[in-house]
Amino acid sequence: MRHRLSCLPAVLAVLLVAASIAFAHHSVAGQFDTSKSVTLKGSIAKVEWINPHIYVYLDVKDADGTVATWALETLPTRMMRQAGLSKESVIGSPGELITVVAVPARDGTKHLAWISKITYADGRFYALGGNANGQ
Amino acid sequence: MTHRFLNCFVVTVAVVFAASYAMVSDIHAQAPVPAGTRDANPASKPTPHLADGRPDLNGTWEHGRGFAFGRAQTLPDGSVCVLGCPEATAAPARGNAAGGRGGAAAPAAPAAPNFPKYKPEFLPKVKDLSDRQVQTDTVLQCQPPGVPRIGPPAKIVQNAHEVVFLYDDVNGSFFRIVPTDGRPHRKGLPPSYLGDAIGHWEGDTLVVETLNFNEDTWLIDNGAFHTKDLKIVERLRRVGDAIEYQATAQDPAVLVEPWTRAQALRLSDHELEESARCEDRDLEHVIDGSHHDNPR
Repeated sequence: MRHRLSCLPAVLAVLLVAASIAFAHHSVAGQFDTSKSVTLKGSIAKVEWINPHIYVYLDVKDADGTVATWALETLPTRMMRQAGLSKESVIGSPGELITVVAVPARDGTKHLAWISKITYADGRFYALGGNANGQ
Repeated sequence: MTHRFLNCFVVTVAVVFAASYAMVSDIHAQAPVPAGTRDANPASKPTPHLADGRPDLNGTWEHGRGFAFGRAQTLPDGSVCVLGCPEATAAPARGNAAGGRGGAAAPAAPAAPNFPKYKPEFLPKVKDLSDRQVQTDTVLQCQPPGVPRIGPPAKIVQNAHEVVFLYDDVNGSFFRIVPTDGRPHRKGLPPSYLGDAIGHWEGDTLVVETLNFNEDTWLIDNGAFHTKDLKIVERLRRVGDAIEYQATAQDPAVLVEPWTRAQALRLSDHELEESARCEDRDLEHVIDGSHHDNPR
């Protein structure tokens, strides 16, 4: 009994870590800094409908007019499919102004982030997890 | 000291499993079931049989696991909350969700934490693989997940001679062919991710025995490795519009005892689709060992 109780601190510690990861939507926290968010405005250049994570490429114009293409990662295709979303519904209309709240990469890679929320010109949005600020 | 630490590791893994199951179960338990789209008790329906008298396993089957951690919600303006949704106040998501695989409350998850029991001398290996899962788990590298980690079949095609299991896994579309006409295991095949299966009927239960696995897969998450001598015995029993699915892993060289995983399936009206290409681009950017569970 005493032997098992000696595990308690380790169990509690791991549970706390696991819970924090789970509430941060799992491995998102291993790659993206869920304590930060960035808001991007631009047009979708391309969507790669692949697993384990879909990629949305967003062309974002800086203040000086330079266009940077962000690689924005999101959920697996099946989760999107189950939610009734398709590649076409994510792409939106050509040239449509899209607003994305995203969680930046922890390793400092520029223009790489996880989509927390994507909002289209007509106001509809898709909340995709990762950061409470985006939902 | 080492022994105590390893015991702690096993206890910790078990507790985390329990917490994970509770969390997922709780999410699903809170999700409302759309009226008229679900049978409260699919097992209460009559069990159909084929002309040969065997229970009819044909169909698409959902088991409410995988990556469906929450339930999507659709708002009137077409907005969709896919993940991290608040308590449901809106209509269930459109598309496949209504009455399909992801949009309704899942069948109950296993009631207890469940992890294979390894012989003490193999616990360090399990711990090491688990600690380094981001590097060591081939599932995270888009490889086939193996059996039973791949989970129950998503679709079953059955005739009098064979049963075919189909899977639309996040890592790809997979199949397993299960002869049920008395053929023995094939000889000379290279070891594979999904092994070589044969089946037979024990009353109303289809029993599938699978051998000849490679050693690249795990039984389940968190370092649950196996040897090439792994044998998996799956049992499928249709009850109404439900299937009681059970998979038992036998690998006496490393396991203290056979390990069993049970899941409840229910008939679905959702047709499978070809899985999207799997191409991992994350691992080079992951900066610590944290990872999500990879249930099926």
